[in-house]
Amino acid sequence: MATERKRKRNNETGTNGLKRRHVTSDKNKQHISDDVSEVTQIAADVFPPLVGGEDEDEGSDSGSEEEEWTGLDGAADGDVKGSEHTGSKPKKPPTGEELRNIKDATELYRSSSFKLQIDALLPNVHPKYERFAPLDRFLHSLYSFLHSIPSVEPEHPLIASRRLLKKGIAVPYSAPQPTEDTNWKVSFTKPNEVTVVGSWPTKLSVKAKDKNPYRVDVAVEMPAALFQEKDYLNGRFFHKRAYYLAVVASAIARKGGELNVDVLFDSVAGDSRLTTLVLRPKQGLKNDWSKLNVEVRIMPTLPSDCPIPLQRLSPSRSNIRTLTSEEAQEEFSTPLYNTALLLGLTPRAHLLRVYALKEAVPAFADALTLLRVWANQRGYSEGGKFCVRGFEGKGMWWAAVLDLLIHGEETSGLAKLSPKRKPLGKGLSSYQLFRAALDLFARHDFTQERVYLKSEGGHRFLPQEYNTHEAVFVDSTSSVNLLAGVPMSSLDMLKHDAKLTLETLNDGTSAAGSKDPFREVFLKDLRDLQSRFDVVMRVDLSSAKPSQPSPHATLDHGSPFNALIADLASKLRSGLSDRIKALAVLLPTSGPRSLSQAHPSNSPIIYIGLVLNTDHAFRLVDHGPPADDPNPANVQQFRDFWGDKAELRRFKDGSIVESVVWDVKNVDERAHIPFNISRYLLSRHSGIPSEDVRGWQASYDSTLRLPESIASFYQAARSATGFKTAMTAFEGLIKSIKALDDELPLAVLNISPSSESLRYTNTFVPVALPPSLSSILPACARYAPVMDVIIEFEKSGRWPDDLKAIQKIKLAFFETLATALMKSVKGLRATVVVGDGVSTSEMQDVASLEIITPDGWAFSARIWHDREAILLDKIIDDKPHIPKHLKRKLQQTSDSSGAEAKERQEAMETKALYIRRFIHAPRHHRAIAALSHRFSAFAGTVRLVKRWLASHWLLHGYISEEVVELICASIFLGSDASSKDRESVPGTKERGLAVVVEFLKDWEWENGLFVPLYGSSESEITDVTKQPSLTGGKSGAWAVSTELDPTGHMWTSNGPDAIVARRVRTIAKASWSCLQEVEDGNFDVKTLFVHPTEHYDIIMRLDPSALPRYYQNITADPSVWKGKYANAVLNGESKDALKPGFDPAQLLFNDLKRVYKDTLKIFHDPFGGNLFGAVWDPTLKESRPFRVLGGFSSTPVRKDNEKGKDKSLVVLNTDAVLSEIERLGAGLVTSITVQV
Amino acid sequence: MSSAQIFPTSIAGFTPIQIKYSSDSTHILYVRAHTGSKKGKNKDIVFPEGRTLFLVNVPPDATEREITVLFKQSGTVEKVVFDGDEEEVHEIGEDSDEEMEDEEELGEEQDDDEEQPRKKRKMSKDSKPAIPHVIPLPTRNTRTLRRTGRAAHVIFLDASSLSRALSPPSKPKGWPLDTSTAVGLSHYNALYEALRPPLDLVKAHADSWMDLFEYEQAKKKRQSKYKKGEAIVDDDGFTLVTRGGAYGQTLGGGVTVASKKFQESRKTSQRYRKDKKEPKEKETFYAFQVHEKKRKELIDLKRKWEEDKAKVEKLKESRKFRPY
Repeated sequence: MATERKRKRNNETGTNGLKRRHVTSDKNKQHISDDVSEVTQIAADVFPPLVGGEDEDEGSDSGSEEEEWTGLDGAADGDVKGSEHTGSKPKKPPTGEELRNIKDATELYRSSSFKLQIDALLPNVHPKYERFAPLDRFLHSLYSFLHSIPSVEPEHPLIASRRLLKKGIAVPYSAPQPTEDTNWKVSFTKPNEVTVVGSWPTKLSVKAKDKNPYRVDVAVEMPAALFQEKDYLNGRFFHKRAYYLAVVASAIARKGGELNVDVLFDSVAGDSRLTTLVLRPKQGLKNDWSKLNVEVRIMPTLPSDCPIPLQRLSPSRSNIRTLTSEEAQEEFSTPLYNTALLLGLTPRAHLLRVYALKEAVPAFADALTLLRVWANQRGYSEGGKFCVRGFEGKGMWWAAVLDLLIHGEETSGLAKLSPKRKPLGKGLSSYQLFRAALDLFARHDFTQERVYLKSEGGHRFLPQEYNTHEAVFVDSTSSVNLLAGVPMSSLDMLKHDAKLTLETLNDGTSAAGSKDPFREVFLKDLRDLQSRFDVVMRVDLSSAKPSQPSPHATLDHGSPFNALIADLASKLRSGLSDRIKALAVLLPTSGPRSLSQAHPSNSPIIYIGLVLNTDHAFRLVDHGPPADDPNPANVQQFRDFWGDKAELRRFKDGSIVESVVWDVKNVDERAHIPFNISRYLLSRHSGIPSEDVRGWQASYDSTLRLPESIASFYQAARSATGFKTAMTAFEGLIKSIKALDDELPLAVLNISPSSESLRYTNTFVPVALPPSLSSILPACARYAPVMDVIIEFEKSGRWPDDLKAIQKIKLAFFETLATALMKSVKGLRATVVVGDGVSTSEMQDVASLEIITPDGWAFSARIWHDREAILLDKIIDDKPHIPKHLKRKLQQTSDSSGAEAKERQEAMETKALYIRRFIHAPRHHRAIAALSHRFSAFAGTVRLVKRWLASHWLLHGYISEEVVELICASIFLGSDASSKDRESVPGTKERGLAVVVEFLKDWEWENGLFVPLYGSSESEITDVTKQPSLTGGKSGAWAVSTELDPTGHMWTSNGPDAIVARRVRTIAKASWSCLQEVEDGNFDVKTLFVHPTEHYDIIMRLDPSALPRYYQNITADPSVWKGKYANAVLNGESKDALKPGFDPAQLLFNDLKRVYKDTLKIFHDPFGGNLFGAVWDPTLKESRPFRVLGGFSSTPVRKDNEKGKDKSLVVLNTDAVLSEIERLGAGLVTSITVQV
Repeated sequence: MSSAQIFPTSIAGFTPIQIKYSSDSTHILYVRAHTGSKKGKNKDIVFPEGRTLFLVNVPPDATEREITVLFKQSGTVEKVVFDGDEEEVHEIGEDSDEEMEDEEELGEEQDDDEEQPRKKRKMSKDSKPAIPHVIPLPTRNTRTLRRTGRAAHVIFLDASSLSRALSPPSKPKGWPLDTSTAVGLSHYNALYEALRPPLDLVKAHADSWMDLFEYEQAKKKRQSKYKKGEAIVDDDGFTLVTRGGAYGQTLGGGVTVASKKFQESRKTSQRYRKDKKEPKEKETFYAFQVHEKKRKELIDLKRKWEEDKAKVEKLKESRKFRPY
């Protein structure tokens, strides 16, 4: 069998004729010599064929070896010992080989299913080579065509280019352009060799993002006779190369009929020195390969015997001498120019190297594929979207990374270099190699450590010569730095991404509800800007003017644009220093251009993304060198860098240092510091006007703020605002209550907060409404939020042992407390609230004490008495000693009277409320408050998410605030309770919102979610019950469990149900696609919060001036209160006393939701929404037989004639229901629109 | 509402009555004479047969007064009982305000069983205590919103009214909206005020309620025959649990105490321990056991592998492995 497979493989390699010919013709023939078969044999043994491939063996049960194989798939065929297994599938023990496969899969991979998933993925990202026969035919004809192009006599470069221009072909001469007085000539003779290089011949091509075609690189070796020794100078080589390319282009374009292709220029990373020819198939009869999604790229290469001395191309040499005196020039080396030239030598060598690796290391091909898929998903490649700068055309680098892992580095004579990494050897699995590569990215410090791949000839250039490069990763030929031109910031980003992925891979495999790591790592497109970066900036470069333009850098980088980008990236990186973990400059990939365009055009729009290091990001001061720095150059450098922002300051510790101070007016602005720094630096160093740098943070902030005109009322009244102030007010309340100990029958043990406003997560900043303010506020802005607190008295046996009596005693306590408080604190008002107006249960805790402090803070206090739980338990289960099964029998036999069952039901509801209100809420509050302190962006994220859900009419009515907090916490905490902060923690609330939206978009809530909210210490207690229960018949579709709430329904039992949960997903999807618009530049934050109303059957309009919360509406119309304000003063009505927590819209919503529970599903925005939307229960639209307790308002179906069968059918009486709603909402509802 | 179609005169034994809400919407009430309900025997006392009308699909915000007015033409209504699932029979009050009533009801209910309530007086142990009276919380005239599509019973003073009510009226009646009880925004305003009664009333209510409660407790204690001794309560209010009460209960009744014998024998705990100690078969005694165990492990391994494979295969079918 193995031999058969081997033969098949050999055949496959044989199909690509062109490649075979050239590779075998090489002197490195030994790589593919006889031991090829051996390697394939090993490969076949180590890697079982892909899942699908095993089918061939199924069913055969003769011959020992084959029988072993059937074991894997043959589970379905009959079985001998089925009787001893309870499972439906009869089993045989696995055979040796099977066992080896399984063990390999589990031990060499993350898990066996991970391995299977990898196996399933790989065929989808490789081209199906067997379909590419037409391409082979094309390559053959191209080969002969290229050899048949007639020679062109030597000519002056400008004359030659003019001649070609007449044919519509612009020669892409790179800067410095040849001039009239150049004394050398360009010419063309047919190529020495034409070779297919790159990933195609080695079958390592990986599908590109966004349906970009596969690339087949064809290296055309220019004859050595075309070159002279001095061609390394001033771009002469590139000019000759450009001319060569242009001649080939014109030949193909002219005789295009023969080849039937479109010819285009393309320059890698916008560098015209690296221009290639792109051949794209046209549809036609002959050699039609247009359906293959593949393009052929022609790149001219240097022959190995070319006269250019390689020593002149060492990285530290300067090879552009156009300016001033030569001595001055020598100081500026031209590393990128030299690298670009050397790249003309490497394609063949790289091909051979990769081929050798592939043959020697069985897992190399798969590992490289995984790595490239991983990179593609994160924008480290070409693609249709914005990509990380510097990774275009870096295909070889990914292979070189694996080369490094396998073969190790070239040692250098210098002792100070870090101890050498040990090569990992050849026996690793693809997953292990992939992981090792990520590990390298995550740990390797590219700024400090240089990498020289193991090469045959040792170092070609001295390691010190690479000082001119930022990051150094020298290839196996020891000639080219593969990371030349890659900004350090992009490598930071790579490091960050690798860390993220490692984090995902390290997350527990077992934790239910966690994301599928395979999907996260390989299948998910992670190029989205808003969920990836804390700060996203859109920069328009069209009016950029570098403040210190450097002609030299421009020449070295190949174009002013590239020089600008490189400069900008490095300036931002050093300016933001430790405030950021990573910084990415994102550009669209340069696309092919027509032959008439000599130079690539660059899109002026770039995006800059910052990943913040929240420990330092919001620092107000940047310190520079001290004033008395021994080296004054440091001071000067600092001043040059920061311009007039730099100033000398004396600090508390007495030091006088150069520093930069960033002014902020409020908390929101503090979060803008990194953005402001970037904008300042961009304007200072790159001359980009600040209006061309666009960010979205401020627009997000405004969604959480009150309208200006309302806020001015608060400012005028000097009202206390802010979370901290609210907490101080709460502390004050505790003090004044504790001071009353003598006057209360029992001592107060504990007062615990359980309000969003006291844990930083209320959408709106809490405000105090002193009487002076509340009287001048317009009616539609007079909502006074109430903060819940829970009072716990010391334990006492004097409490009555009866639930109803306990509730009455609470009233008495409240009364005493209220009287005492009002006596002791001047200006404080306290009222006992005896119920909520809805609940009629007598055992339920309904009473509360409403306290309004003299400053205007409103609190609502409840009393927690722990005996209630026991009493309730007694009602629910009054015979705990009887085993469950007996009880069930008892219940069946004895007709449990209705009253008793009803009482039990009531007790169960009361118990649920009790546990939620007194046990979980305070605990939840503490945990969330702690998270708000731990993660700077957490509270903001929760607030934004709440605002978002509220504006889509879901919060409060269907999604409790607490579950929002839990979901946000899961974003910050991950699924494992480790005390370490994760790499993926969002640094700003905007990113937090994007991540939550993304989560809700993909969350399969059927699987639940586990949030390690309470940390590991407590998790041990309930470790057994960690698995969230699958959603059963409960009304809550979401199961969000914590260590202390294993079933996960504490905050979701009242919704969302499956319908609303699906709605959340739909809305998240819509918002997600709205977030993507940031890439088009016309993204408006407001659109995220605009709710479409066309899907509702009924829209009820409320009178905004009657809603005390209208001012919180996201689209509040100031004219409502401005117009009303004048009238309101005249109306005595508005002089009413402050009504804390009074929100008639919410009350009406609750009533309608309750009254029409089985008729309608009603939605509204709790934050001042002036619209209610409702949908009819679709099942009610059909007529159904009359039932006494139908639960909806019905009307008999009209019969067309009297003789109609009397089935007593009734149908929903929509008109009457609407009239009723109008009546119930009198004074609030202004109109009801029925939308059909 | 086209007049061409004929409005049915009877639906499953109910007479539909049209009630005009407005010019273009009509609510339907279904009425029937009340017949003894099967489930609640005691309810028959409340709903006298022959003069009780059973009403289905009551408007959610209907008040007793509105219904009374609605049936004024048929006869005088004695009372209206709304019976949703959540409402109790105790709503036979003069006002329809449940929220406020609840607290009050409890007192009244208990009063019903007793003799006439008398003036509240301090309780003392030796003198025969008077039954304390609960001072109710102030009631406000607010509506109760019930679930839609619920039923109610209307009890007429006179049996003849029933038949009149059952005959469908010639033309739809209008809904007699009672303007004295607020709806909509003013309802919520009123409710808000009603839920915040003056402090002295709260105090009076809570105190009087507790007095009654203690009275009830004391009475219950007296009535309970199966009791021996008096509970021992210490200064902190803890009740000492001691053996010696009747029927294995603590002194003064209440909690059951385990008997001395039971406690000493520890029968239950021993039994459980014995169960646990039961010698099990040695798992690795015979070679075949080791063999079987290993084999089972391998089979489990394989099964898991195959499960994973099936899972991946399923995912593959849903084309989940196309990254882009």
